[in-house]
Amino acid sequence: MNRDKLLSLARLTRRGFNRRGFIQNAASAGAGLMIGSEMAPTAFAQEAAHRSCPVVPRPIPHLTIPPGAHFFFPGPVDADPVASPNAGHDPSIITDFSGVIANADMIFSGKGTNLNTGQSATYDFHADMRFMSGTFIGLDNENHNGTIGFI
Amino acid sequence: MSAATPHGSPLGFHSYDPGIMAGSLAMWATAYPVGSGKVDIAGGSARLLVHNVCSVFDVFTVPNSFDPAHALGIFDASIDSMEIQWNGVTRSVLGFSDSTNKFRGDFYECSAKIAVSVTTPIETGHGFHFESDPATTHTDFAQFGVEHNGVFF
Repeated sequence: MNRDKLLSLARLTRRGFNRRGFIQNAASAGAGLMIGSEMAPTAFAQEAAHRSCPVVPRPIPHLTIPPGAHFFFPGPVDADPVASPNAGHDPSIITDFSGVIANADMIFSGKGTNLNTGQSATYDFHADMRFMSGTFIGLDNENHNGTIGFI
Repeated sequence: MSAATPHGSPLGFHSYDPGIMAGSLAMWATAYPVGSGKVDIAGGSARLLVHNVCSVFDVFTVPNSFDPAHALGIFDASIDSMEIQWNGVTRSVLGFSDSTNKFRGDFYECSAKIAVSVTTPIETGHGFHFESDPATTHTDFAQFGVEHNGVFF
């Protein structure tokens, strides 16, 4: 990645970049960001090598493009499928699931501190947080009880 | 969890997610301890309480998270604690069924409030700590409910 692209990303972040904005802007710009089913298997190799989860659930079938990932943006479950194909609907990110769910799309502020310099400043974060707790069938085709979070 | 307006990232960029769950294609998903998320339908509330979630990374920016090369780098981080409370039901969607997406259930739209503390260790060279003020929480959308999908639809 060259310096110009880094600076471009920096500008985007400074003006209040968030996930939905990034994904939707990428769509309008025709950017080719694809993860999920379209993602190269090595894209998150660090994560695979870094930590493993004892049980691996299956993602929901729906693919939101971009970024090409298996989730719906937050919204009412009864959203119009034509007007809102990628927002609302199933709030779970895992399929073959039976249990309780909660999701929250929030903006909040707080105190951020650079631990290297000791400087502090107000930060704002945008977070789409969810959990799915109950029974699900994992990639091993076995039933499991557990809680899966979306961060 | 990524930077938002108006303050953005005044001391540098920080954004947190767990990446793609290893072996699956579940995005930004991680396993929480059993019992950490609870829904009380009768009481009209839900709660998530977790500590020491060490399966997240400081990815700095959302584009960097999506970049397979992670050009800005990614570093181990930890959600020291996080509590989200859902309550104040404003709309109920009961007995909902969606045969296209194969899910059904009872859903309750509401408000949410978050208290979160997250740290990027100083050893990474990008040491950062964030402590939220729950009173500042603005809810764009929140809901809890009971759901059955896929083979349980």
